[in-house]
Amino acid sequence: MGFELNFSIDPRTKIIILAIISFMVFNDVPMYVSGILVLIPFFCLFFSDYKKAAVIYILTYVIAKYLQITILPNATGILAIVLITFSYTATRMLPILMMGYYTIMTTKVSEFIASMEKSNVPKDITIPVSVVFRYIPSVFEEIRSITKAMKMRGFGLTFKSLKSPLKMVEFYMIPILISAVKTSDELSAASLTRGLSNPKKRTNLISVEFNKFDYLFLAISIAGIAVYIYYLYGGALIA
Amino acid sequence: MLKMENVSFSYDEMRNANLKDINLDIGDGEVILLCGESGCGKTTLTRFLNGLIPNFFDGKREGKASLNSELIDEMPIYEISEHVGSVFQNPKTQFFNVDTTGEIVFGCENLAMDASDIKRRLDNVVRDFGLRHLLDKNIFKLSGGEKQKIACASVSAVNPEILILDEPSSNLDSKSSWDFKAIIEKWKSQGKTVIIAEHKLFFLDDVIDRVIFIKNGKIDNEWTIDEFKQVNHRNLGLRQLNLNNLTAKHPDYYCSSPEFMEIKNFRFNYGRTRVLDIDSVRIPKNEIIAIIGKNGAGKSTFANCLCGLKRSCKGELILDNHSLNRKERLKKSYMVMQDVNHQLFTESVLDEVLLSMDGENEEGACEILDNLNLIHLKDSHPMALSGGEKQRVAIASAIASKKEILIFDEPTSGLDLKNMMKVSENLKYLQGLGITSFIITHDYELILEACSHVLHFEGGKIIDSYKMDKEKLKEFFLE
Repeated sequence: MGFELNFSIDPRTKIIILAIISFMVFNDVPMYVSGILVLIPFFCLFFSDYKKAAVIYILTYVIAKYLQITILPNATGILAIVLITFSYTATRMLPILMMGYYTIMTTKVSEFIASMEKSNVPKDITIPVSVVFRYIPSVFEEIRSITKAMKMRGFGLTFKSLKSPLKMVEFYMIPILISAVKTSDELSAASLTRGLSNPKKRTNLISVEFNKFDYLFLAISIAGIAVYIYYLYGGALIA
Repeated sequence: MLKMENVSFSYDEMRNANLKDINLDIGDGEVILLCGESGCGKTTLTRFLNGLIPNFFDGKREGKASLNSELIDEMPIYEISEHVGSVFQNPKTQFFNVDTTGEIVFGCENLAMDASDIKRRLDNVVRDFGLRHLLDKNIFKLSGGEKQKIACASVSAVNPEILILDEPSSNLDSKSSWDFKAIIEKWKSQGKTVIIAEHKLFFLDDVIDRVIFIKNGKIDNEWTIDEFKQVNHRNLGLRQLNLNNLTAKHPDYYCSSPEFMEIKNFRFNYGRTRVLDIDSVRIPKNEIIAIIGKNGAGKSTFANCLCGLKRSCKGELILDNHSLNRKERLKKSYMVMQDVNHQLFTESVLDEVLLSMDGENEEGACEILDNLNLIHLKDSHPMALSGGEKQRVAIASAIASKKEILIFDEPTSGLDLKNMMKVSENLKYLQGLGITSFIITHDYELILEACSHVLHFEGGKIIDSYKMDKEKLKEFFLE
């Protein structure tokens, strides 16, 4: 290949794109707009060492969209209901989930704090949000371990357990909540002993700047919104 | 430098771990061990010194604690953090960052040091602790020992005069514990004061100057390290300082003529790396088997495969002349996890046991609970119990679902002598029920106390499988 794409975007860009994508997928956006927005998480993931996730994502999305457009309008029966649920959830939720996944996995906590401080966001907002950033990877770890524990008790994803899905949610939620409380307590204590409450302006070793990718992606997503608004109101806004 | 005068403290929310009338004078460059049973107040004392009391934990305070003749409770906590660095027990919850480099400089950044100064400090700790290979890594991907090294490097970067360590070795294997000792020695050579609250003592004997024994919130005794070596640790409820004098309690198998099970063709890959590779091994049935090996030797992968939790690990277990495949193993075996919280699901202890039974049988469930000394807690919420009680509830549910193989993942990490002995009793009780237990452990004392067979892992293979042999075991633990 012989060429290295030094891909990185600013945490602020990630969050803005995430917000735009979330807004767009819950509205009926014309295909030519949503198509481009759907590709943003794909490119982001693909160029930052999450190639497998990127490919699985885009394939799932295309299949779901294809089903939605071609097969489902005429389909009936139980299978159709299942497929409709799948395709609508996938087309609406996947882009947000993947962009969120990308944001969480590739943003260093220190980068996030640095970029928020650059935009003069107060510490009272930055710190709690960065704790969330820090906490999400450990939630994944916990979910894996709870799933293991459930399998050993004989209620993994089996027919028996699917009969009471609420019970399953409860089984996951209680341990996660308990450990969330414990983790946030211990984390706050540890960060206090490391001077996080210092009122002086923090030094940021990592410098964050907007680069060409930031401008590119921001331009694309803002253009997307603009086209969408134009599509909604037609010429009415301009006139 | 650090001084406590008539300090007493009681938490608002807890009944134990309070302090009564503590007087303590700690000089420059001293290395001090705080020891005592769980809940004796060691941790509370450390919280006084790093400012978490009163800045984070509320309670009733009396007396004075001072740092360089300044009262600690009048200093803002970020100012204390310039002088006092803290390393905690749980490596998972003391990191604010997800990447190692960001974590090492985090404290310096908070204290608003110059960027060029921070870079110089980063270089220094990386050199001092030999961390070059760990820079810019995801902290979640590191081993327990590596995490603790990063934690030490991050407090060291701020260059405080005092270091406070609260059970830092709970999650470390013996090799990493020795590495940890080297870090304390480094600090000592830099003239820093180190205060370490710890249950596991064996790696500390020639680095400590003074030992403070705490009992029920009071300083019960104080020794120099030489005096402490002569003390009978068992009588004080402490772990051993010198592991050389221990003897194996079960040099012979529990069963007079043991039967064997056989494990065949257990293989497992992570991506393209083979992490488990076992052709065939015979293991005595209905015994207590220790699984030892360094971090990353394949112990946990083996446990997961044995329990049938890894879909891609085929292999078979031959038990009573039946060959068990993955799904059958999943039915017959159960793992008591290190974080038991992940495996308790219901709203009461009794429900937890009933959930595991084939048909609900309340009488049978109560009998199991009674035998495990849990019957008085049968209506309590599992999450409200102590760590040891939770572990017993997990054991109870395994018994209720008629499991024949139990695997314990580090059941005694961070436990004091009394609680370690309780775990050992539980294991022997299970042996009496005909259950085979596997124990993944770094706890030499527990192995000598309860185990009768040892499986030694290295590089994904079982390199040795032997009947309890203290000398062999010692070679691994006390290299």
